[in-house]
Amino acid sequence: MNPSFKLILIILISFEISFTRSLTANCVLIAVCLIYLMIHKIKLKTLGIVLLIPVIPAVALSITIAFFTPAQDYHFALVLFSRMFAYVLLGTSFTLINSPIELARSLEQNLHLPSKFAYGSLAAFGVLPKMKSTILTLQKAALMRGITLSYWSPKLYFKALLIAMNWSDELAQAMLSHGYVEDTTRTYAATIPIKSTDWAYMIVPILIIQPLLFLLP
Amino acid sequence: MNLSNHYHVRDIIFITLIGIAFGAIFISTNFIYNFLTVVLTPVGLAPMANDINMGIWVMAGPLTGFILRKPGAGFLGEFLAAVGEMFFGGQWGASTLISGAIQGIASELGFTLTGYKVYNWFSLCLSCLTTTIVTFAWDMFKNGYAEFHFGMLILLFVVRFISIFFFGGILTKMIAALLDRSHMLAKFGGSNV
Repeated sequence: MNPSFKLILIILISFEISFTRSLTANCVLIAVCLIYLMIHKIKLKTLGIVLLIPVIPAVALSITIAFFTPAQDYHFALVLFSRMFAYVLLGTSFTLINSPIELARSLEQNLHLPSKFAYGSLAAFGVLPKMKSTILTLQKAALMRGITLSYWSPKLYFKALLIAMNWSDELAQAMLSHGYVEDTTRTYAATIPIKSTDWAYMIVPILIIQPLLFLLP
Repeated sequence: MNLSNHYHVRDIIFITLIGIAFGAIFISTNFIYNFLTVVLTPVGLAPMANDINMGIWVMAGPLTGFILRKPGAGFLGEFLAAVGEMFFGGQWGASTLISGAIQGIASELGFTLTGYKVYNWFSLCLSCLTTTIVTFAWDMFKNGYAEFHFGMLILLFVVRFISIFFFGGILTKMIAALLDRSHMLAKFGGSNV
């Protein structure tokens, strides 16, 4: 399925379930996403980790809604509980299967996002692991001088911003030296087409989910 | 003041990198969120963990808006951070993107209200206030806040504002002052904080 269309579908559904209170629809979404991920042979371990993360907030929020609100609405507590898992599974149905580069290409070609946004952010996401280790290095280096740089210290953010500035300069120069020119028409090495099936894959699920969301409890 | 409202590829990389760098810093605060959630659940205040941490999560918005001084910078700072989080942190899935867009619009609104002309405590506080109001309204639906009684809502709102004001206001101002002293921002168009 076309990545842009898939993203739009996922965002639309996530947005809709935020405003509706259908336990059935949430459960159907969870089941469909699980089946979809299984078909794409996602490792059970990865899936397990994904499902483990929302457990604490989901349980805590449903307990609060069920026992500490004036209405003590058990149904709504379950809706919120299932909603968290639906969000996560909808998201992973995208992120575990489509790569950022596919999305960037598709957004540029299919939705006409300016290429500087598509490739600029992609370039930045490319150095994400390096950024993580650099932040750790900053903190460790400060510790060696007896200074603790915690998440509330302005100095830590200041240093991180200086790094972001330097790297953005370097990455932009690297892109320019590879022949990237912003605001010009580009040719595509890999074209991402919009097929008629892409439209069907987007519209049919949206149509199916509506009655579930609005008619079933 | 800013010379141009046009975004170059370098600005976009810079904004995304800010989001990523802050994300890398915030990862270490996840355990605080989980700890607070577990501790606050028995007393019926579990959602407060959200509000206490909210300032950390939305900080990229007011900060980029304040230091880059371009229309859209506050939105992009927050939204691009959410895109990164969706692919690499991953846990909140698609709702990260929606929350990111809403938080981005929320912090951008504060600067929009001053017409992108004033960049001082006032505009920063305004951005913190719009961020609190808009994200709170979103949680009325998303996290079922509408179910709580009035007293609790007031408490959550105040806690959220304090958190956003600390991280998005006070901390942002301190970071901006450090940047100003370093004269590094001049090439990105910001100055005279």
